[in-house]
Amino acid sequence: MTDQLIIAVSREFGSGGHFIAEQLAKTFQIPFYDRNLLWELANERNLDISALTKYDEVPKRRLLSRKVRGFNNSPEENIARLQFDYLKKKAAEGESFVVVGRCAETVLRDHPALISVFILADEQSKLERICRLNNLSPDEAAAMIARCNKQRKAYHNSYCPVKWGDSRGYDLCINDSRLGVDGTAAFIEQYIRKRFPQL
Amino acid sequence: MIAQIAAVSIFVVMFGLIITEKIERYIITLIGAALTLIVVFGLCMQSLDAIWNTLNFAAIFRPDFWYAVGQEESSSGGINWATILFLAGMMVMVEGMARVGFFRWLCIRIAKLVHYKTIPLFLTFMIMSAILAMFIDSITVILFLAAVTIELSRLLRFNPVPMVLTEIFCANLGGSATMCGDPPNIIIGTSLGLSFTDFLTNTGAIAGLSLVAVIVYFYFLFRKDLRTEGDPPDPKDYPNPKEAITNKRGFIISTVIFLLAVVLLITHAQTGLTVSFIGVFIALLTLVTAPRHIPEILKRVDYRTLLFFVGLFVVVGGLEQTGILDIVAGFIKDISGGNLMLVITIVIWVSAIASAFVDNIPFAATMIPVITELAGTVGVHINVLAWALSMGTDIGGSATPIGASANVVGTSLAAKAGHPIGWKTYCLKIAPATVLVLIISTLFIFVRYL
Repeated sequence: MTDQLIIAVSREFGSGGHFIAEQLAKTFQIPFYDRNLLWELANERNLDISALTKYDEVPKRRLLSRKVRGFNNSPEENIARLQFDYLKKKAAEGESFVVVGRCAETVLRDHPALISVFILADEQSKLERICRLNNLSPDEAAAMIARCNKQRKAYHNSYCPVKWGDSRGYDLCINDSRLGVDGTAAFIEQYIRKRFPQL
Repeated sequence: MIAQIAAVSIFVVMFGLIITEKIERYIITLIGAALTLIVVFGLCMQSLDAIWNTLNFAAIFRPDFWYAVGQEESSSGGINWATILFLAGMMVMVEGMARVGFFRWLCIRIAKLVHYKTIPLFLTFMIMSAILAMFIDSITVILFLAAVTIELSRLLRFNPVPMVLTEIFCANLGGSATMCGDPPNIIIGTSLGLSFTDFLTNTGAIAGLSLVAVIVYFYFLFRKDLRTEGDPPDPKDYPNPKEAITNKRGFIISTVIFLLAVVLLITHAQTGLTVSFIGVFIALLTLVTAPRHIPEILKRVDYRTLLFFVGLFVVVGGLEQTGILDIVAGFIKDISGGNLMLVITIVIWVSAIASAFVDNIPFAATMIPVITELAGTVGVHINVLAWALSMGTDIGGSATPIGASANVVGTSLAAKAGHPIGWKTYCLKIAPATVLVLIISTLFIFVRYL
């Protein structure tokens, strides 16, 4: 048994999954990857970050790209695969980390150190969180939640055989409206310590 | 009437499925071909002759399929076996060349010749892309050129996107210059009995003129984007052309075979050797000179593209045999009012616009019977419309990231290396160059042939 730990957190928009993931990274004192994964990748390879971020976690537009002899020119897909390969490389090098989204639960599915979690929440609690964080009216927040979740779902489902949010694709699926962000993070921590007692 | 509806339905569904890319395109055209043979020819027309004519097996056994001195080699419709055999032969040759490191050697050799300086690299790679694409398929050209460009951009610290974009454009432009440069030209040439020299002295002249214009355009467009950043690299880090060669003997043989293919193609109108003969001969020569690598070379040949062509020719044969393409030709004649300038403009610009969004190969294959019919009705030599169709389909494909195979491969390689090229960037830079070349082509055809 190794000390390596990889936590892949998928989340509904507004569920607070991001905060739970951050908390888990702090608890286990391991790096936290979200959008910054692309920043690190761009830094390492001397790439223009602004050209990359606009395609981060964006679903590919089928009719606007083509595939020729195995080469697909969808910028969205290529940037997604660039991140998948980067995650695989980090995992293969033995790095422990928490990663939010980026299909990590599928990309690293066969890795023995992986724990995959899907965080969902009640509509009301998502709405309240998004209104508070973005200073929006309930209608605007509801529209934003619907739009972002639709985008996340489309992005995820283009690359993964198991659908976004389908419980069969994750170790744990938790509604954090029951225990709150801190309570849910603590619950997941307990689960991880039970799975990997050496940590 | 029922046969016509069936033929059009199969064609439209086939085209739609090709665009969606849900299923491999060779499977789509082969299913379309089977449906055309069974439903259109068998059930609707009940014509064994139509099936036999479209399958066109008899053509292969005619002596003029292989040797046609003093007469024009031309396909009689249906499956264009000359195109298929020629493409297969060139694929074998190119695989043989790639195996020994020819293309990588050439790219690095040119880079070394210009002392790895960004602007000279930018200019020479554009010219090399155009020249190579005259004889080799543009996918292979871009595969190697873009890969070396990206490698050099990391070393020399410049943004590879402008170079990749211009290489793509020049590969498409170079492909339009010769009969073997781009699949639509091979289909047009073999269907209408045109020679390599015919293309070189007509579309080649247009492409040459256009190349000068686009080099100037691209230079002024991109010269600021090609500035290098940071300290210059240590010259010891520069790639060495010699290291690209994996087998010296094989390299020399491949180079000789390539030059022989070029000579045979340039002289084929004089020698009487058809492109089918040249394709088969060059393929056999490649295999015979590398006997230990035959399985490896044959395994890498893109059979899917060849099968795609077979299916496509049958489906287009369905449109031809049922008279649909005559109706399309009549429609173009009607809207142009028989005005020759308008007919040429329609052929070039409609082909270009269509090719910018859909595969230009099925489009060209469909349009050949249309322009043949049009030439007769408006009273113009078929070659004039052939050059218009060739320039329209070859150049129009450059306008968007999905218009031609070279665009897809080039932008894909750039994106994989962390340099995504979106539609906006691509079209803002490349569409004006496409329009520029189309204007040059239209004016050239007007001035020279009318």
